[in-house]
Amino acid sequence: MSGIVTTIADLEQIKNKYLDHVSKYKCQVLICGGAGCISSNCAEVKDSVIETLKKFGLEDEVLVYETGCMGLCAVGPVMLVLPYRTFYTDLTAESAADIVKSHLVDGRILMECTYYDKSLNRHVPRIDDIEFFKDQVRIALRNCGIMEHDNIEAYIARDGYIAACKALNEKTPEEIIEEIKKSGLKGRGGAGFPTGIKWEAGFKAKSDKKFIVCNADEGDPGAFMDRSIIEGDPHTIIEGMIIGGYAIGANLGYVYIRAEYPIAVDRLSKAIEEARRYGLLGQKLFGTDFAFDLEIRIGAGAFVCGEETALMNSIEGKRGEPRQKPPLPFQKGLFRCPTIINNAETLACVPAILLNGSEWFSQYGTKESKGTKVFALAGDLANAGIVEVPVGMPLGDILFKIGGGMKDKKKFKAAQIGGPSGGCITQENLNVPTDYKSITKLGAIMGSGGLIAMNEDTCMVDTARYFMDFIQDESCGKCVACRLGTKRMLEILERITQGNGEEGDIELLEELGATIKETAMCGLGQSAPNPVLSTIKYFRHEYEEHIKKKYCRAGVCSELFISPCENTCPANVNVPGYISLVAAGRFIDAYNLIRQENPFPAVCGRICTRPCESKCRRRTLDEAVAICDLKRFVADYAYKNEKPYSNDIIFPKNGKKVAIIGAGASGLTCGYYLVRIGYDVDVYEAESVAGGVLAFGIPEYRLPQSVIAHEIELIKQAGVNIFLNTEVGRDVDFQDLRKKYDAIYVATGTQFPQRVNIPGEELDGVIHGINFLKNVNLKREVKLGNTVAVIGGGNTAIDSARTALRLGAKKVLILYRRTIDAMPAYESEIHEAIAEGVEIMELVSPVRFIGGKTGSVKKIECIRMKLGEFDNSGRRKSIPIEGSDFIIEVDNVIPAVSQYSDLPFIRKEEIGVTSWGTFIIDEDTLMTTMDGVFAGGDVARGPDTVISAIADGKKAAISIDLYLGGKGKLNKGPKINIPDNFDEDEIVSHERFPLDMLPVEKRMDLDSEVVLGYHKLNAIAESMRCLRCDRR
Amino acid sequence: MSKRPVPCTCLRSATSSKYSELDKIIELYKNKEGSLIQILHLAQEIYGHLPLELQQYIADSLDIPLSEVSGVITFYSFFSTKPRGEHTIRVCLGTACYVRGGKKIIERLSEILGVGLGETTKDGRFTFEIARCIGACGLAPAMMIDNVVYKQVNVNKLESILARY
Repeated sequence: MSGIVTTIADLEQIKNKYLDHVSKYKCQVLICGGAGCISSNCAEVKDSVIETLKKFGLEDEVLVYETGCMGLCAVGPVMLVLPYRTFYTDLTAESAADIVKSHLVDGRILMECTYYDKSLNRHVPRIDDIEFFKDQVRIALRNCGIMEHDNIEAYIARDGYIAACKALNEKTPEEIIEEIKKSGLKGRGGAGFPTGIKWEAGFKAKSDKKFIVCNADEGDPGAFMDRSIIEGDPHTIIEGMIIGGYAIGANLGYVYIRAEYPIAVDRLSKAIEEARRYGLLGQKLFGTDFAFDLEIRIGAGAFVCGEETALMNSIEGKRGEPRQKPPLPFQKGLFRCPTIINNAETLACVPAILLNGSEWFSQYGTKESKGTKVFALAGDLANAGIVEVPVGMPLGDILFKIGGGMKDKKKFKAAQIGGPSGGCITQENLNVPTDYKSITKLGAIMGSGGLIAMNEDTCMVDTARYFMDFIQDESCGKCVACRLGTKRMLEILERITQGNGEEGDIELLEELGATIKETAMCGLGQSAPNPVLSTIKYFRHEYEEHIKKKYCRAGVCSELFISPCENTCPANVNVPGYISLVAAGRFIDAYNLIRQENPFPAVCGRICTRPCESKCRRRTLDEAVAICDLKRFVADYAYKNEKPYSNDIIFPKNGKKVAIIGAGASGLTCGYYLVRIGYDVDVYEAESVAGGVLAFGIPEYRLPQSVIAHEIELIKQAGVNIFLNTEVGRDVDFQDLRKKYDAIYVATGTQFPQRVNIPGEELDGVIHGINFLKNVNLKREVKLGNTVAVIGGGNTAIDSARTALRLGAKKVLILYRRTIDAMPAYESEIHEAIAEGVEIMELVSPVRFIGGKTGSVKKIECIRMKLGEFDNSGRRKSIPIEGSDFIIEVDNVIPAVSQYSDLPFIRKEEIGVTSWGTFIIDEDTLMTTMDGVFAGGDVARGPDTVISAIADGKKAAISIDLYLGGKGKLNKGPKINIPDNFDEDEIVSHERFPLDMLPVEKRMDLDSEVVLGYHKLNAIAESMRCLRCDRR
Repeated sequence: MSKRPVPCTCLRSATSSKYSELDKIIELYKNKEGSLIQILHLAQEIYGHLPLELQQYIADSLDIPLSEVSGVITFYSFFSTKPRGEHTIRVCLGTACYVRGGKKIIERLSEILGVGLGETTKDGRFTFEIARCIGACGLAPAMMIDNVVYKQVNVNKLESILARY
């Protein structure tokens, strides 16, 4: 303790003394004492570190201290070891002791405890190499996480209080205001009002008593920036307020902190006491006549108190209701005196600006918004935590580069920014610069910096309901618009999410929202409708689905479905139902239950994309239930143990006829359901086999022909006629079909390969993926050379590559322009391909195919790619790296980029077709623009999944029945009772039970199925992992 | 929780000693403008909650209307006019728990405790509330007692869980 500080020299002396003290130690261990790490028990970690150091007698060599929030809260508790700057995460008392032993005693970094980058799949030990920290610029957070939070000398050692000392001694208030104005600093609480101008107003206000207030009533759910600053660097707030107080002429400041932040209150109180002891608060600061002191006011749990006029009422000990403006606070604020209210983050920037100059600060940010902004990243991001970036950094970079992208490989849906007053930003706008204007333009607000990333599992209607519920709860009730308006909006949202939404509700919400925005008294009310209006703007279809179809695509609004898996399955198969039948050993019943909704259980059991499993609640515990594999098990079991008879009833003929074009999954499904309710159905198929892409687009090793043939046989048995080798437009005339049949369903798929559109595509030896697979499947002669290059990252590409290996290619390469984890193909197939020896070249794109002397392809000129900005699907664009061209030698090229449909039998001018070449259809009825002609599956949607095609076929059957005067009710077969055999006993964590697989070395003939499926015992065991979300 | 909240009845019998602590606080803040919320924070810390008698006492001591004190207390969610139990039970009614039988848990708990939601048992042991998602969806239905999360609760387990408190 060196007594009262009055000059720069005093500060320098304290600084040097502290630095001397620190330099005596060889190493330093910084333990994060941010709120997140405290709740994950960093105290235990600290004790363990200190104890272990003692044990090895290193307490005089290693300095251990607690810092403020380091930012990476998601992997806390965390600590940083200096001078190596090694960053250790997810610490426990045990791992901390191990780290001390390994790193500090033996001098060996304990790799397995360092930060793990999930997208790179490796540990990144040095903090400076971690993506999360790399692009950050920390100004408000400059001391957070790297200095002792509870020692004023540590703050002074980082040039603390020098700005205040210089300001008071060397500058006039006008000069300070000018400097702040020049820096371009704006209010970080949300409104973004220029701080300099605000201070000037405060300075000019005439009164013998003025106040400066720090607003730290950080109430937005998901925001914790102010908290981190106050807890990690309390003196910066004090210094900022001294400078602000001097600039406007206030001698007393208040810090208003919410009661929910007891640690912040505690640390700031102690810091204020410390500052007083050092003479940094009180009379005659820094040898001048300026007096300044601070008081803390603790909120009492009212969100509205973040609004400045309500906050002042609350400081005055009154109900925190907002006041009418004007008078504005700088005219008549706290206790009727001129008052300037600044957000904590704004004040934290002030000392740094004065210390380094306004130009230094304004070098960061955009033309209109200078400096940096702190964001609290929360939600479904890999790296949740606190970050500070230059204003204007593209939102996508914050979320994906710093935030590490979405957790669990889920799809990004929207980012909610600005809390209950803000709105959402969708993937189309990921490149938006995060500055005040650009964000506002998109219908959201920058707000205080709460940034919540939401994935596909978030229901936007429910999110809107959540925020409205919050606002409704927090509305102070003073004005009618907010008190009643938000209540009515909440009621409407509740009924929509409960399945009672009505036509006109969306419009009603919009009207109410607009009225509240215009008429509410304070900022809370005026911005309250934003989350609703913003979700309606970007996700109107989700509102419509809830209202019209009683469907919640995210699987959140539970009143609308049986279970998340069933809700997600496009064909709505009763998943928990059949799984409980498997558990009961009733495999045939399970099979029949699936067949009620999907006539292709054995096919789907092998090749379905399994959307259901991505929503399985078991995922949050260990791993999703193997729903698809269980489906395959019962289908295979039923195949082997088929009964010679069935009690299934097919309705008597109704005399109406339907033609179906294309015998793929969609067409056959439609036919199956139509014959069961009495229609005569004829299916026309151009190829020599039925099954469409199932038969000739998927290799035998994944889906044996016999499996498809069997399921098609059952459909035929139900009464569907299939005419093979009969192409509409060639063998039969489309117009004749229209005359002969009462309705037509077109389900011809997309079977024409999209060209890569580069030179050399017509060379011999270049064969497009779907043609290649078709030739192989139909046993046509296919000759391949030694080296085959496949182009693309979808399932056709992987299938082609693995088939090429089986045909004897020595080397098979896949060229893909993005990275492996961005490949649209199934992950397990990619893994198997790699295991079998397929080589994948990431970030490579072909430029041209080069022919040899014989005119067949010999080389590919390729270019390396890098990931650029985000496209409108939320993926990073891949862009070529100039001059990185290289040549690879090949014997064959199989481009497999995409497919399209061609409909030669209908003239384009007679029917509506999209620019993609797919039919324009009515979303509800699937009818094309031609009366009585329906379309579904890929020909209407573009390349999509089998299960969607099946769902379309079923939907078309209902729609055709309605069109032809029926009731649209399908005959799905006899009711199957589902046993209530749920085991109430404790659930023990257990990953999936293993499937039988063909060993890699036995796979190299074309016909051996690779996945052999479940053993019966494993199937039953696996089914018992189901949590039975359908039980209520 | 070290402090047992004091039910209203005790206030009447043992007023003198209890109020003396409050008097000290009031004395400290009396002449400072706008200190009502500070006083209420400290009063609640001592008494656990802020019943009407206490509100009246504070109003009289500060020479302000009871309506002003009461108005402030009811405005802020942090202040409670009813005693809180020693332990707080929060049954999760997030989507997953709701779907997996959270409602049944609430019905049964209500029976066992003899109080409804938002209420405190007569013996002052439990305050019974609901919570929105507490992030234990994989093991729904879940509930929390103070800071301990009980996952996969079913109605048969409730009594044995409560017996631990």
